[in-house]
Amino acid sequence: MHRIILVACLLLATAALPSALPAADPGSTINSTMTSTARAREIINQMEELYRGDSSNAMITMKVTTPQYERTLRMSGQSLGRELAFFRILSPKKDRGITTLKREQEMWNYFPKINKVIKVPPSMMMGSWMGSDFTNDDLVKETTLIDAYDLALKETEDQYHITLIPREETVTVWGMIEYIVSKEPLLPVMQIFYDDKGEMIRRLSFQEPTVFSGLLMPSILVMTPLNKPGHSTTIIYEDITLNPPDINEQTFSMRNLKSRF
Amino acid sequence: MLIFKLAFRNILRQKRRSLLTGLSMTGGYVLFVISISMLEGSWGNAVDIFTLDHTGHIQIHKGNYVKRPKIYETIVDREEVEEALAGEARITGYAPRVYSPTLAYSGDKTSPAFLIGVDPVLETSVSRLLLKVSDGTYFDAAPNEDGYSQAMIGAGLASKLKLGLGDEIVLIAQGADGSIANDIFIISAIIGNKTSFDRFAVYLPLSAAQVFLSLGATVHEYAMLVSNRNHNEAIASDLQVLLPNLTVSPWQKVEESFYRTMQSDRQGNHFSMGIIVFLVFIGVLNTVLMSVLERTREFGVLRSIGCHPLGLVKLIFLETQMLTWLSLAVGGLIALPLVFWFAQYGILLPQPIDVGGVNFQHMKGEFSSLVFFMPMTFIVGAAALISLPPGIRAARILPRDALSSH
Repeated sequence: MHRIILVACLLLATAALPSALPAADPGSTINSTMTSTARAREIINQMEELYRGDSSNAMITMKVTTPQYERTLRMSGQSLGRELAFFRILSPKKDRGITTLKREQEMWNYFPKINKVIKVPPSMMMGSWMGSDFTNDDLVKETTLIDAYDLALKETEDQYHITLIPREETVTVWGMIEYIVSKEPLLPVMQIFYDDKGEMIRRLSFQEPTVFSGLLMPSILVMTPLNKPGHSTTIIYEDITLNPPDINEQTFSMRNLKSRF
Repeated sequence: MLIFKLAFRNILRQKRRSLLTGLSMTGGYVLFVISISMLEGSWGNAVDIFTLDHTGHIQIHKGNYVKRPKIYETIVDREEVEEALAGEARITGYAPRVYSPTLAYSGDKTSPAFLIGVDPVLETSVSRLLLKVSDGTYFDAAPNEDGYSQAMIGAGLASKLKLGLGDEIVLIAQGADGSIANDIFIISAIIGNKTSFDRFAVYLPLSAAQVFLSLGATVHEYAMLVSNRNHNEAIASDLQVLLPNLTVSPWQKVEESFYRTMQSDRQGNHFSMGIIVFLVFIGVLNTVLMSVLERTREFGVLRSIGCHPLGLVKLIFLETQMLTWLSLAVGGLIALPLVFWFAQYGILLPQPIDVGGVNFQHMKGEFSSLVFFMPMTFIVGAAALISLPPGIRAARILPRDALSSH
């Protein structure tokens, strides 16, 4: 399974990092003799490969900025494959222990203060995840970019600009996605999401490539909704451990969701 | 003075006719006064029902909270507001509040609800919340020994979630800082009944609601009562000057659609009353015209000996006005005790009206200067108006024709 939203990939599948040091990976080079569409598919495929892996364990800080408030959450996140993810808020104190479990396309939140597991209903999927500019849908939605979108490639000296237009049969809220990838190293730089009318709705930028466990990946992601002035969400990866031995199916169980820590 | 004497004598010349005309005006006035009293009284009751139940006479908010409530549109400088309110002697009580939509849980059951955070002490000076406790005890701000805050819930919510006194209610809402507010509260009281407007409300002590919604010490609203509700708009304007950064709204703005309905109903009723008075004054016009026609020869004599035509208009005008004022005096004597009784005791309703758990057993009228003077002005004006055509007719009489008439 693949994911359309890279941030969700980063959040949910940091285990994808074995191939996240493209400069060191000979397979990451783009064959200049390929056709434009084939090259675009290859680049997108490699970007998706960045976030494909076995399992991961990460410490994340999420800063939510709005004109009214600023909020910082520190959380741990685990993932197994593309389908399983688990987040637990560590601070601030009043939110400590709030946990999100994602299993395939379903999502549950656990609130320790009221000892209650609440399944996120389909109607709430477009709602904000933990007050951020990411939606619940961003976390659960899974689409294969290269299969669901028609791709067009433009190239500059140091970047690839790939335009993704959804195919007729693709179910999506986006009218177009613009995907910018740096050539050296081959890493995502920005995603811009457009609606059906061609208006920019939100922008996801990938910043500060950092080596985690010997692998290079963007350590800061900034989601800026362009229709909500003053709003942004910044995700900072403090640490990522790949394929940790203690991550298994049980990590993503209802029992673990409700466990106190 | 002579013209006054003449006018008075002319009234007494046809005592029976004057009496009957006067009685019709008296009756019209009394009817008008009682109708206005009932109308104003019933609207006053309706206004009291929601202003004393929850809205208050004046509210203060940040920005456009009344029309577009947002959780972070809060009043931060509460000291400034409370100083202004304490300095206004016409305000009898004020209370801070916070609001939020919430999701209420009990076991597997869930229901949307509306959270209202109130100061347990101050709220009683502004609303009937204390009187609406249908079961249990009115809450206080202190948490119980287990650290849980108390909550009072609407009867509809209690019934839907099968909750009773002492049970736990779980609330989930959006916090003002973007967090997911979630907590457990212990039910101390049930509010109102299943038809109350706040049947799905969850009342929390203000401090608990502020913590729950991550609002700090801020509030969404100050509601207040004033000593005379008819002056609330003037007081609101004065407060607005003192609090330029906030929005001070009289209840007429807060409940704008209700106010518009009330105003259009009032206008409709005033129109009906106008028709009644018009019918009364057709009779009066007939009487005055009759009186003029009967006295054609007399007016001819007056004109012959040098009376100015305007003098005749004045004479007829004065006669009508004297009769009107006499009728109004009698009407006032009749209406005064009636309206007073109506305002004090009212009519016992065969079935009390339940409003949010508070019963209204009497339909009361209003006793105010408006009730007496508005019909009075209307009737005096109408009398002045209908006295003009007969007066002009008298003034245009030619002495030759008048003297030859029988």
